[in-house]
Amino acid sequence: MQNKLSFHQSSVSLEIIGLPDYSNNENNDQISIISQWKLTIIDKPLIEGKVEHLVPIMNAFYIYSNLLIKNEIPIYESKLIDIKADNLYIHNIVLKSSKPNVKPLILKIGNSLLTDTINCFDQLKESPKVRIKNTHLSNNIPKKFKFGLNNKEKLINFFIPPFMAICSLILFSSSFIYFYNPIEVKEKNEIINPE
Amino acid sequence: MFAISNKLNLNDIFPNKVTIWKLRNNNPLRKSYVNNNIKIDEFDALIKITVEMSRYLYPIIREILKSKEDPKNNTSVWVDFNKRFIELIKERFNSDSMKVKKLLYQAENDEIVIKSLLTLSLCISNQGYQKLRNFLFDF
Repeated sequence: MQNKLSFHQSSVSLEIIGLPDYSNNENNDQISIISQWKLTIIDKPLIEGKVEHLVPIMNAFYIYSNLLIKNEIPIYESKLIDIKADNLYIHNIVLKSSKPNVKPLILKIGNSLLTDTINCFDQLKESPKVRIKNTHLSNNIPKKFKFGLNNKEKLINFFIPPFMAICSLILFSSSFIYFYNPIEVKEKNEIINPE
Repeated sequence: MFAISNKLNLNDIFPNKVTIWKLRNNNPLRKSYVNNNIKIDEFDALIKITVEMSRYLYPIIREILKSKEDPKNNTSVWVDFNKRFIELIKERFNSDSMKVKKLLYQAENDEIVIKSLLTLSLCISNQGYQKLRNFLFDF
């Protein structure tokens, strides 16, 4: 018999189905081996999957919300889920199935549903009854580090073209040394016109 | 705010309403701005109060956010909120400041207001205090 735990926040509910890890002497009502999860958003299709999908989806929502708040470009793309902002109020979610020939599920949610969903994930993370193994759920993602690397790349891309231009100008102009030497020309003129 | 600070056992930091009022005056956008050095425990206490208030006000915050999503339906909540927000800013903030003018300018204040509401609505969990603290430090 599997355990079921539900987390609710306004229009969103998250259901976790699984078993306790008896090898760790866990209580019967604990869930450590998640077999299935279901995310229900009112007026939207049901989202469900296995534990290996849950963590990337949670992370996607956390990263996206961080980007949204920190005035960075709110786009998150991965093999499993894409989230991007249509505008300031509507967010476009594309859930890609791992099975072949299954069309991606496209959802449009507003800020209210986005916050409900993230608050459901928060409840799951904070629940003492559910343990998500081997995961790196990032609520406070070190974005600065990640974007620092991107910025460094951008910085290099910014400086390379003018640097290359200067180098090629130097190279190009140095070739004129062989064609024109003002001192030599002056000396030649002096020999021709000794006065 | 004082009632919430009592509820959170912050009486040592905020023994009365005046201490909270003085702290609020640290905001340079306010008309009654006073430059006092804010202590870390006061800063933390203000975050705790903000998180508790947003937890309490979440249904209203959510309704305001929702009313802006579909402009065809139920925009009255957003209009009322924005009207009150602007009234408060005009009443309490220094309207000569460029930042305050931005807040009063309709086209620009939408984004600021929505992002502020989103930040508050994402900090209602038990770890909301830590979340809001991190958001503020990263700001």
